[in-house]
Amino acid sequence: MSSQTSLDFRTNAAGAVKDGALRQAMRQATDTIGTKRSDAMESVDFTALREKASAIRMEVLDNLPAYIERFTTQATQAGASVHRAADAGSANTIIAGILKSNNVRMVAKGKSMISEETHLNAHLEKEGFEVVETDLGEYIIQLAGETPSHILVPAIHKNRQQVGRLFAEKLGADYSEDPQVLTKIARKALREKFLTADAGISGANFAIAESGSLVIFTNEGNGRMVTSVPPLHIAILSIEKILPSLADLPTFMRLLPRSATGQMLTSYVSILTGNRKEGDATGARELHIVLLDNGRSEIVKGDCREMLKCIRCGACMNVCPVYRTVGGHAYGWTYPGPMGIVLTTLLTGMAGSHPLVDASTLCGACNDACPVKVPLQEMILKQRVRRVSEGFSPAGVSMGMRLFGAAVKSPLLFSFGERLVGWLWSLLRRAGGENVVGRLPRPAKSPFSRRMP
Amino acid sequence: MSVNDAVIALFLENAARSAAVVHRAEGAEQLRAKVSEIVGQEGDVFCPLVTELEKTAAADRARLVSDYASALVTVEEVSAAIAETGSIVCASSNGKAVQASLLPSHHVAIVPCDRIFATLDDFFAGFAAALPTNLTIITGPSRTADIELNLVIGVHGPERLDIIVV
Repeated sequence: MSSQTSLDFRTNAAGAVKDGALRQAMRQATDTIGTKRSDAMESVDFTALREKASAIRMEVLDNLPAYIERFTTQATQAGASVHRAADAGSANTIIAGILKSNNVRMVAKGKSMISEETHLNAHLEKEGFEVVETDLGEYIIQLAGETPSHILVPAIHKNRQQVGRLFAEKLGADYSEDPQVLTKIARKALREKFLTADAGISGANFAIAESGSLVIFTNEGNGRMVTSVPPLHIAILSIEKILPSLADLPTFMRLLPRSATGQMLTSYVSILTGNRKEGDATGARELHIVLLDNGRSEIVKGDCREMLKCIRCGACMNVCPVYRTVGGHAYGWTYPGPMGIVLTTLLTGMAGSHPLVDASTLCGACNDACPVKVPLQEMILKQRVRRVSEGFSPAGVSMGMRLFGAAVKSPLLFSFGERLVGWLWSLLRRAGGENVVGRLPRPAKSPFSRRMP
Repeated sequence: MSVNDAVIALFLENAARSAAVVHRAEGAEQLRAKVSEIVGQEGDVFCPLVTELEKTAAADRARLVSDYASALVTVEEVSAAIAETGSIVCASSNGKAVQASLLPSHHVAIVPCDRIFATLDDFFAGFAAALPTNLTIITGPSRTADIELNLVIGVHGPERLDIIVV
């Protein structure tokens, strides 16, 4: 499952559609989150909040280099070391270097989609470090040797029986399919890791330019563990996660958990400012912050810059009819769903991801759900245009579109085409196969245009 | 009802909704009684014994331990609370170990009623100058929904959170 690529989206999706357990899990999960999300939104003015949130995010994108500069200065002053990584490879190298110079053997890791983007775990394991994922969902898929299928609920595709069998096999626990029991097994196994880890690695939901702080939203408490128990903490985040000031945070505290899981607020919001200082009894003695660019400085200059407003809540995927049907793995890269289509094609290039632009019905549900008003539908359309202009549309489609273009310019040719399709219909049906032409209605004997008086 | 009473009531309502167990206590005697009732016969108790309220609350010194990592319960005064979200706030200021609210499986938070802010904005407005190294906003016990979106309380952090407004 984990080795699926974006180029194979159609095959991946066709396989996913036939997987009954997956579809059942996806439907149940996305329905539950969807209901909770709409309930939670009733207590706030969603329209006003998202307007405000969108404006704050645009302010940052309009002045991104200045905000990065400001954040770096403030975080450094607070005692953190800030590193800039141009791409995934250099981020991984920087982190491995920090771990090596601190003689680290075992790392406890909090949930971070950016580290999935850079394939950090694989890199660190190759370098000989033991990396333990500590978010329950991430822990499950790490044990299973898979990748996340949802940016917030990584093991959304697994049912309790599968998790029970996995824990029995990998942890030697007695088989149970009670989520309560399974969670306790993970708590016990991971507590020991937290207390003995030489370093903690986390992501961050936001970075505050004014104070140099990192902001992390978590529910389980593992994010708090990895950022405050081990002596060394490394945070990896992408450059656009910055908010101007602490005063902007309440807006996102109201929007992010509601959009993501339908909670009023996550159990924990940690605001971390620098390393442990004289007289402190909390905090890592050494804090490193790795700011990943990976193409974002270029994206912010282009016509899809608004994609970088995204705060990774997952609301767009939970409402997407395609995502809800095929799940996250079919998309073949780190980010699935509508935001994933746009980010994957922007960050990895059209050559390796162009089939993804078809993974949308353009229904616009994602636009309505997005808490920061990213115009996802328009951006998916823009990516479709890019696919054509960069020459990645399938030959048959390009040819068909050219023929159709020529035909609609000439009424004579068009009406000839209409008749031709009528005559050849039974042949076309067989040629195109049941799945293509077979799903279209049979052409009318006399076209509508000719029945007009 | 004065404005403050309304804020306290909203705080208690929202905290209870986040699955915290809420209590009110008037004065030292009630606080002491409440804490010993909540802590009951559970194992080792950690209490920083820094503030007056903490010294009052931890009357039963026999079961106190100095290492929060091995304690079953932490009893402590927290630095603030927020009514809008029903949250309590733990800060690393004054040498406080914020992990004490994380490692033990039961957290008992004492909230002075004059430290409850109405909204998130009111709370953050107080931090214009400097932030402590660690500022943690806590809303209910530790939880997950990672297995089939089934809510399970008590993952890596406390499975029970008691809040006493004094």
